Amino acid sequence: MSIAAQTSRKHSNHIRHSRNDRWARAIAYIIVGLFGLICLYPLLLTVTVSFTPEDVINRDGFRLIPRTFTLDTYTYIFAHSGARILKSYGVTILITAVGTFASMLVTCMIAYAISLREMKYRNVIAFICNFTSIFSAGLIPWYVVCTQWYGLRNNILALILPALFSVWNMFLMRTYFKAISPSLYDAAKIDGAGHWTIFFRIALPLSITALLTVGLMYALSYWNDWWHALMFIDDRDLYPLQYYLYSIVSNVNAVSSGRVPAGAAANIRLPAETVKMAVTIITIGPIIFLYPFIQRYFVKGIMMGSVKE
Amino acid sequence: MQRTVKAPVKRGFLWEMKHNRSLYLMCVPALLLLLAFAYLPMGGMYMAFTKYDAVGGIFGSTYVGFQNFSYFLSGNPYFWNAVWNTLIINFWGLILGTILPITIAICMNEVKNGVFKKVSQSAMFFPYFLSWVVIGAILYGFLTSNFRVDRKTGELIITGANGIVNRLIIGLGGTPVRWYAEAKYWKTIIILLDVWKWAGYNSIIYMAAMAAFDGSLYEAATIDGASRFQQIRYLTIPMLKPNVVILTLMSIGRIFFGDMGMIWGVVGQNATVLDAVTVIDTYVYTSMRTMGFGFSTAIGLCQSVMGLILIVLANTLAKRINDGEGLF
Repeated sequence: MSIAAQTSRKHSNHIRHSRNDRWARAIAYIIVGLFGLICLYPLLLTVTVSFTPEDVINRDGFRLIPRTFTLDTYTYIFAHSGARILKSYGVTILITAVGTFASMLVTCMIAYAISLREMKYRNVIAFICNFTSIFSAGLIPWYVVCTQWYGLRNNILALILPALFSVWNMFLMRTYFKAISPSLYDAAKIDGAGHWTIFFRIALPLSITALLTVGLMYALSYWNDWWHALMFIDDRDLYPLQYYLYSIVSNVNAVSSGRVPAGAAANIRLPAETVKMAVTIITIGPIIFLYPFIQRYFVKGIMMGSVKE
Repeated sequence: MQRTVKAPVKRGFLWEMKHNRSLYLMCVPALLLLLAFAYLPMGGMYMAFTKYDAVGGIFGSTYVGFQNFSYFLSGNPYFWNAVWNTLIINFWGLILGTILPITIAICMNEVKNGVFKKVSQSAMFFPYFLSWVVIGAILYGFLTSNFRVDRKTGELIITGANGIVNRLIIGLGGTPVRWYAEAKYWKTIIILLDVWKWAGYNSIIYMAAMAAFDGSLYEAATIDGASRFQQIRYLTIPMLKPNVVILTLMSIGRIFFGDMGMIWGVVGQNATVLDAVTVIDTYVYTSMRTMGFGFSTAIGLCQSVMGLILIVLANTLAKRINDGEGLF
């Protein structure tokens, strides 16, 4: 084969491939865009429904672009159950703030300690932590111990204590602490610093990103928690926001299944569709606002957690 | 020859505790929490062998041996239904929950437009930030149904708000569905929701793995005239295999564990639908009220032991495949 022919074949090959590659790219854009929409659409729908008048929803059904816009639903909610929602907001904010702070303190201390090679039994402690994630007592013993021994029924501590320490977050934090150069610690030790000083003055300030990452993960789990309320809380004054939403939605759900007798169903006053969507928006409001700023920390945390040391 | 290297000083437990006292003190709060909420409840598993009563408490109730176990293992249809549901939901969750995130990660890698990439990634990651309760509420906007069919004329009468899905069906001329009263659709709905919620999260894991791949391999492939499709087929996918294997093994280790938060948050107390999607975890929770603590603890104990066996097996397998590197 002559050189010219060879070059031209390579050239045509190149063109064929570049056309092929354009297809690959187009398909990639379509898949990514489509799935992005599938994830975003439900949220947008919820937002717009909460701003649509109830009678329009009843007539036209749910639709993404409302014909009319109203703030009535929100005014209605705050006029009728404003006190309840604000109280639930208070509970959620309290457990998120106190819980995240306590969680971080507890998690960072142990993560720092077992990140150090000089600690002889660090692997024993790591195993004690790890074992709880591969074997658990199960729901009922946990529930009985919590309610009968610790008295966590209808106690706000029930929303904080059981979720206070996450082994997964601890190992994540340990990975970050391990990345700090030991020579920094050694220098401090020569100056006579103990481990507490090193922990608070060197290890923590050097891990601001890590603290934000893990702290936000804890904060999100406290904010989204309704499970512990389902288990322990009957007192409406202690309902966190998520559980308040749950109590509304599960009522509606049960009635629309048709299992509840018609007479009883008539007695349960269903909140309007728009009210449910508005309460949903109120519940996730802070997440939506903070999302653009906090997202990257979660991405970082997940990447860090998925890479094995 | 005389030994010049000094043997390391053997120091005991007490010396270590004293020498590194502050380090061990730092571990105390976390270990106490684990003791209180993970290890002490393990003692409570004894309830599985008792006929639990509130007066006797965990250790004072009547011992009944394996009676609780034989009761649910010997043909209790509700229990086996829950086991079956757990396996089915986890199986499809595992298959779809692997394929979709990998597809997304690979496609994401081909997207060069920075803004498009950022916006779509933000959108995909968002469901991870929502609790199952919120997802359940949002789902309602899709599936709610308010209609009746006139007995005489067979005409469809809209009686209130209809969700997106029913509006679509009506728009296409079909008969809408009372989703919340039709159990048969709910396994599919739950599986799809689970995959939807975690796809963005899991795709990040795969993207992190792909970011670590050797770029020169792709350069060499390009020079050799490999198309993007071929590069994905012969480079990316084979190189992702170890990650897929590890994550799959991890999921298999947890195949007997259902996500009670998901089932309860989305389906809640809807008894019509619950039977179709009830998993072992929700069955334990509901049978706590109807069948008593001893019975439901026994189920939980079986689940935990099965889980432990499977995890250890998966770990051994992972070590064999992965050059001695286990799951934990």
